[in-house]
Formats: sequence, C-alpha cells, structure tokens
Amino acid sequence: MEAVTITLNGVEVSGYAGTTILDLARESGVYIPTLCHDPNLASTGACRLCLVEDERNGALLASCVAAISPGMTINTNSPRVVEHRKKILELMLASHPDTCLVCDKGNRCQLRKLAAETGVGLIGLQKIPQNDIIEEVNPFIERDLSKCVMCGKCIRVDQELVVEGAIDYIDRGTMVKPATLNDMPLEKSECTFCGACVAICPTGALMEKERVYTGTATNVVTTVCPYCGCGCTICLGTKDNQIVEVRPAVDSPVSRGALCVRGSYGCDFIDSPDRLPRPLVKVDGEFQEATWEEALSRVAEGLGQIKKDQGADALAVFGSSKCTNEENYLLQRFARGVLGTNNIDNGSRLYSAASRTGLGASIGYAGTTGSLDALERSKVIMVIGANPEISAPAVAYAIKRAVRFKEAKLIVIDPRNTPLTQFASLWLRPGVGTDVALLNGLARVVINENRLDVEFVTRMTDNFDGWTKSLQKYTPGYVEDVTGIPKKDVQAAARLLAGAEEASIVYGNGITQHNSGTDAVVAIANLAMLTGNAGRRGGIFALQRENNAHGACDMGTLPGFLPGYQSIDEAENRKRFEERWGGPLPAQAGLSALEMMEAAGEGKVKGMLIMGENPVAGFPQPALVREALSSLDFLVVTDMFPTETVKYASVVLPAASFAEKEGTFTNFEGRVQRLHRAIEPVGESLPDVEILLRLAEVMGSKMPYTSHQEVMEEIEDMVPFYRHVAYADADSMGLDWGDVESSSPGTRRLHKGMFPSGFGRFSPVEYTSPQDVATDGYPFTLMAGSSRYHFGAGSRSSRSARLSRFSPTAYLEISGAAAAELGIGDGDTVKVTSAQGELSTTAKVSKTLPRGLLFMPISFPDSPVYELFGTVLDPQAKAPALKTCAVRLERTAGNG
Amino acid sequence: MVKQKKAPKVNLKQIEKIIAGYRGQRWPLIPMVEEIQENVGYIPPESIPVIADALGLFPSQVQAVITFYEQLYTEPRGKNIVRVCRGTACHVRGGKTILKLVRQHLGIGEGETTEDMEFTLETVACIGVCALAPNVMVNKETHGDMNPKKVARLFEKSEKE
Repeated sequence: MEAVTITLNGVEVSGYAGTTILDLARESGVYIPTLCHDPNLASTGACRLCLVEDERNGALLASCVAAISPGMTINTNSPRVVEHRKKILELMLASHPDTCLVCDKGNRCQLRKLAAETGVGLIGLQKIPQNDIIEEVNPFIERDLSKCVMCGKCIRVDQELVVEGAIDYIDRGTMVKPATLNDMPLEKSECTFCGACVAICPTGALMEKERVYTGTATNVVTTVCPYCGCGCTICLGTKDNQIVEVRPAVDSPVSRGALCVRGSYGCDFIDSPDRLPRPLVKVDGEFQEATWEEALSRVAEGLGQIKKDQGADALAVFGSSKCTNEENYLLQRFARGVLGTNNIDNGSRLYSAASRTGLGASIGYAGTTGSLDALERSKVIMVIGANPEISAPAVAYAIKRAVRFKEAKLIVIDPRNTPLTQFASLWLRPGVGTDVALLNGLARVVINENRLDVEFVTRMTDNFDGWTKSLQKYTPGYVEDVTGIPKKDVQAAARLLAGAEEASIVYGNGITQHNSGTDAVVAIANLAMLTGNAGRRGGIFALQRENNAHGACDMGTLPGFLPGYQSIDEAENRKRFEERWGGPLPAQAGLSALEMMEAAGEGKVKGMLIMGENPVAGFPQPALVREALSSLDFLVVTDMFPTETVKYASVVLPAASFAEKEGTFTNFEGRVQRLHRAIEPVGESLPDVEILLRLAEVMGSKMPYTSHQEVMEEIEDMVPFYRHVAYADADSMGLDWGDVESSSPGTRRLHKGMFPSGFGRFSPVEYTSPQDVATDGYPFTLMAGSSRYHFGAGSRSSRSARLSRFSPTAYLEISGAAAAELGIGDGDTVKVTSAQGELSTTAKVSKTLPRGLLFMPISFPDSPVYELFGTVLDPQAKAPALKTCAVRLERTAGNG
Repeated sequence: MVKQKKAPKVNLKQIEKIIAGYRGQRWPLIPMVEEIQENVGYIPPESIPVIADALGLFPSQVQAVITFYEQLYTEPRGKNIVRVCRGTACHVRGGKTILKLVRQHLGIGEGETTEDMEFTLETVACIGVCALAPNVMVNKETHGDMNPKKVARLFEKSEKE
C-alpha cells in the first residue's frame, strides 16, 4: 500500500493511504480526545470532539473518520479546534445532569474527564430537559438516559460486535434516544445482558445495576473468564480485596470487548456467603471445621490406608475441566506418582470425550483446528448440533459478524430454532440423532457432483476409496427418509459447503453427547477433509463446554494418557515420566469417570479424590452417584462451595476461585491464556495447586515445585505441543497457536494442511437408528442443554446472586402444538418420566421446538435433569449419552 | 382525553406480499415502508420484525428509520388529515385560535386521531400560501382566510360527506 506523509503538529509522519488522522496520531503518540470512537467499532464521527484543523485551508475535520491525504498540515490543538471542542462539551453538559457526586461512573466518566482536560467548568447555557430514568426489573443493567451523550457506542457495540440488534435510536431531534423495539424494558426485548454496552458507555447512562456503591476500582487485573470454553479475557476491578467490577478487555483476541451475561455479571459467586472458608472434617457424620494440618493428615491417612490395604487401584481421582493446566498436571502426577493409579479422569468426559476420540482418529489431533479469527474469515460456516449463542457466546458473535459484515453464508443444522437460524442461508432441521446419516449424505453429494478438493484429498489423506464405498447407500433420498430434510436442501448444503474457498464446521454437545457421538465427529472430520477445510483454510471447531476442558485433557487427567496424549500403554512414554518424577508409574489404563462411579458402587473403588467437580449434579442417575459416594470408605473433595457432592465427603478442602489464583487455561481454540491473581483467597481457602503440593508432602512424596512457573516449565518440557508456551509468552493476551507455528512449523495446530501424523484418515461410519429418542410409551424426546443465565452443573452460577435471581428455577420448554394437545399452559407444573426416573418442573411454551421435542436446561442442581438419563456409555468415548432421552409428560397442576 | 381507537387487526398477509415485491433490491427499506403505509394507512409495529427479517436488518434498526421520518407513521391514521398551519404569517393572523377551534370541533389534540378514525389532526410549519393566512389543509385541499365560521362550516361539510 502507498505511504502518505502529512505534517502533524509540525512533525512529518507517514502512514498507509486510508489510515485516519486519529489512528496515525495515536500511532505517533499524539493525543486527540474522543468520545464516540472505539477501536473495535466502525467510526461514525458522531461526537465531533476529535476535530482537528488542516492549517492549509482552515478546514475542521473529524479525525476519526477523515483519512490522511498527502500534504495535510494538521494541528490538533489550534485555537479554533480548542474553541470548538469547548463549545461541543458545553453543549453536551447543557443536557447532562449535575449529579457527578452521586454517579457511580465516578472518575471513569469520559465526559467529566474531557471537560476537566479542556477546562470546561460551569457553563452559562440553559439546561435542556432530559429523559427520565427507565424503570426496569432486570438485575444487570440500569439505564439513565439523562446522562446519554448520543455517542451511539452502545448501539454500535450491540450491532457490530455482539450482533444482537436489541437497541437502536428511536425518534429524532431532541427526542432521540437509544431504545429497544417498541421502547420496551430490556428484559422484554432481545437484549441478552451481555454487558458490552455498559462497558463501552462513556458516561453513567448505562450502568451495572445492583452493586452497592463500592467506589472506583483501585486496581485492575486482567485474567480469564471462568465459565465457558471461549476463554474471554476479562478485567477484574478490585478495591480492598474485593472484586467491584468485571469488564471485557478491549484488546482480547477472543472477546474483543464483548462478554456474555455470565462473564459480565456472573462472577459475583466469588463473594457468595456459601464459600467454604476453612477445611471441614467429618466426625460422626457431622462436619467440623479443622486446620489445614489436621485436614491434610486425615486425607493422607485415609487415602494411605486404602492404598496399603487394598492397593492403589482401589483409589480414584476425578479432576476438573474448570481447574488450571498446572492444577490438572499436578493432579495427574499426584494420582500416578503419589497414589500410584491411572484411575484419573476429568469432567470433560461427559461432554467432549467423543470429540477427542473422533478427531484423534481422523485428523490425529484432538481439538479445534483453527482460531476464532479464521472462523470469522470463513466464507461458509456450518453449525451442527451447537447453540453457541448460549454455550459459547464469543463463537456466536464471530459467526454473526461473519454473516452480517463479511458476507459469509451460514448453514445451521439443528432441530431447534436456535438464535443463529435467523442469520442462516440454510436451516436444516434433522430428526434427533440422525446426524451421521446427514453428514454421510452431504459427503456423498460432494463426491458424486465432483466438488471435492482433489488435491487435498490425494496429498493429505488416506483410505479415501474405502470410505467412498461406505457412502453409497446415503443417497439424498435415503437421507430425506432418515432425517426428514428435503433432498434439495441436502444438496444445497453440500454444494454451499464444497463451493466455498474457506469453510468452517462448528459443532458442540448436540453432536458429542449422543451415543453415536464419536461416529458423528468422525463424519464431520471426513466432510472437512473432503472439502479441504481441515486446518489450512477454515477448520473444524469443536466447542468445549468448560473453560479448561481442552487443557485438562492436554494435561493428562485421563485414564489412558499421560500429559500430551501420550498413551500410558507405551513403556517408552512411561519411562520419560518415570525418569522425570523419579518413581515407577502404573502401566494399566485406569477407569474413566463413570466407570469409577460404578466401581465405587460395586465396592471396587474405596477412596476418591474429587477436585472441583460436582458429580451428583453433573452425572446421569444422581441416585446411583449418591449411593456410590456414600459407599466409599474415604472421599475427599476440594471445592469452593458446599455442593451436593461435598455432603458425601469425609474431608472437604476449601479451594480458591479463579480470581484468587495464578495459572493458565487453554480455551477451545487451543489458546493458552494466563490467569492473574486479583484478590487474596477467601478465608483460609487455597488454590488447588497449593493443596496438591501440601497433600503430596504430607503423604511423604514431596513434589519439587516452588512456583507455577516451574510447573509450566515442566509441562513445556513433557508435553510436546506446549513446548513454546513459555510462561511469559502465555501472558494475558494468550498465545495463538498460529504464532507457535511461525516459529516452529508443524507443532500444534494443523498447518498448511499438515496433519501431525502426516495425513488424515477417512473412516467409514454408519448411521444406526438412535436409541435416545422418543419410543413406545415415551412419546417425546427430551433434550438437555445449557441456558443463557446458568452454566455447567450450576455450582457457581446458582451462587451468583444476580444470575440466580433472574433465572431462579429449572423449566421445561415445550412446543405450542404439544402443549395444546396435552392441555399444558405456560407455568403449569408437569411431571416428566423416562425409563430411568422422573421429575417435576414448570412448563414454558416455546416457539423454537418442533412438536415432539422438549428442552430442559441443565445447571439447576435442585432439579437435576440428569435424573432422567441412563448411564449407558458410548463404547469408544466411554461417555454417557446426555443430550437426549425418551420421556412422557403429564400435567400435574395448573399455573398457581 | 385521548380518543384513539384500538388499532384494527393488522393484515400481515397483505404486508408480506408488499415486502415480497422488493426481494433482491439493494436499499429497499424506505420505498418498502412507504408502500406499506400507502396501502395500510400506516406501518403497523407488528410488521417491523417481518420487514427486518426480509431485509437482513434488526427490528430495532427498522424502527429507528421509521421513527426518524416525520412522514412515516406507526399508528393508524384517520381518513382525513387536517393540517393547521402554525407558520409565522398564520400565527400573526390568528392561527393559534384556529388550531384551538379545530381541536374543539374534532375533540382531539395534535397528533391524535378521532375515535371513528375520520380525522387526524396535525400542525405544519408553513404550507406556502401565506397570502391566504390563516390556513388549514384537509387532505390535499387548502382552505385559506380561515375564521371561526369557516372552521365550523368546514367540519360540517366534511362530516356530511
């Protein structure tokens, strides 16, 4: 691009043609005040505060929208500029209330800052009448539009970044204001309470609601959101060892200045009165507070006794996909090196095991192959079995931006009418559990119409012919019969996907939690390889439910793998770790999560360590889990809260929250991001790293680490693909694996079509009729999934004061047609019965479901939907089918 | 005393047909809503999501455009639009009193519609025939040199029609 030279305040500076004066000035370190400008949004030149003067002709230009042109002689502070700037500020202040003293925005108010800078004090203008405060009942956002300066940032962030479109201007002239459709309160609008508008508002017009006036944060710490697998960068504002605000980091490559309601308003679980302040030890069936020394020696004794009497394999360790990489690494070292068992697994078994198994077999790498940036650049995006708007909001934002602003075409494959369908060019609505047939059908169309990426397939893949043969029966007609999707739509989707230069496939728990989950993942990988979209362009995006599901598995909290997916069966792999840790490691692959629980029920496992998981709420058949846990001789749980699982513990060790510890999380893209401690641990709670180190020491096998950095250095050493994640490099903004590739080709992410093993493998998978859908006697298919205001098993989100008040109880969504047939109205109490169990809940009539489908959110530990699910495991992934089950429905009481 | 009739049931079918006629056009929003208003008399708020969906816009964006323009309405309007001029010349010649009389005759305020949906009353800044001030327009017809008697006659006449 051409360079343009201008004179800026007497100094010659150059920039590329098309650069705005403002951007060039900022690059050159020249300050120009702005109010409506934001680097993540398109500039509109609305506030006029960024005016500068071109001294050649005296023109006043809005520097945020005016591009540089050769010979410009810009003065950013000429007397005319200053005069105009002052006048503009005076006019803004004329319609702004003088309530700064009681305004919560305080020193962060941009208007006040600019007025002070410019020397605008009391103004002599007549005040302009203002809008009233809007009365709203939601506990998240407060709108006081009397303080609005019409910069339009809230509207732009809503439309350009979050792409929700809940607000825009209404009316004109003095009446104009940002408003929802029909000027309704936010809770009656499309608003998702992501909080992006609040974070970006320069004044007190949009404020976080329901926080006591805690003053301005005295310190801001950048860390990673603890909820979903997106791993958004968040800034925690602290004061007096308390978190007083949570804001998005504007320069985060993941979140780019927009979080979701959980990230913005759900981190208040840290302050929950439920937090466990001290260790608890069960004496005669009652918990008593204990010192750390007492508690740890009880644990050492309890676990040691079982190991001595019944062998190490009578012990099991269940780790957490919410804990850091370092914690998971230490946990598996603790299990293997200290306890001597491979009975170790983590919570992601329940939702992403199929993904790991399927992708591992196909492309040789158990994760997402591209970055969010690559997703947003894709020309075609296919979303199958995922509702990222709820489960991974940053992914949904990227998809919507691609469609709205980059002309990408979206194919949504979902039986439910998810929020993404309104952005879709094609919405296919398959019957539940028929994904494999559909995916095979799509592949067959691509092959038959000769739309495959021949070069990629020949050079990079294996077993193409064998696989092609297996597809013969999946004709569009057959697919229509099985899935209910019209032939022409199947063909259209295949053509769209194959025709794009860069296409991405996004899938989530709607694929992985079915009992054919592994097969469906393989079918997705096949389709991506066939169209040449595995890695070098576009990619496969496997959504992860929890923040560190990726990392926990990378760190080897898995029964069959040492860190870095190095199989435990290989003596060579074991030897490397044995040498490093100085002791023998068990050679036999251990029990997976549900197998542990089963073994506990059968009396084969006698002692268990659970770190940060709540299996009573998160596993199918809670009754069986309770029974298994109570039959243990010894159970130790580390957790922040007295969860349903904690009740069965012999010893409870209080864990610190994400805001109280250091470490790294690996998000669903494979981006390793560093956590920073914002506040001191609550009470006597400790980070899990500390707990594990102390426990190992008490058990007589001290682990030789003195800092997180040492743990990470060992991880870098022992896990090949973490090799370049130096602790310093993984700092706040994280490290995209793209950077790793540039310095060391062929490591982590599939690069230029290179698979780790040199080639990808096409594996035939066959459609089998689903077991987990409506059958005789159980005429409805119940789907379980995430809800916007809650997360995971609900241990944290149910303790977030605002989230739980806004969405306090579980509910059952039912289609209008089914509700009418059964005489069920909104708010009626209904009884849901499956072959495994039953529960009562409240009905909610929904427009998003087809007739035979019901939906119920997980995350409500009080009425766990998993009561209804069975414990049959996918033989490949060893994960239960937790997405759907067959149920029948009765109305038991009216809306009372 | 607001006498506004409840909006009659909206014929969304008719509106959808109009919207379909604009498929594939580049910036069809304004001509589209104008055509809807011409046919339905106003732009029913219920049609906003349908319009937005057809154009790949957010409903809030469509609302923003509609509420920005004076000549686009989201409420049903009367069969006859009465515009009382409030320009300078008319003001000097007693336009304020004329407005008051029209309000009394119709029993509604500015921007309102009579319950029988016959009249909508509006004020305008100037209609360009200051020589005849004070002026009142009924639909496309201008009535100049207004006085109380002529106001009374105007509405008697209109009501008879």
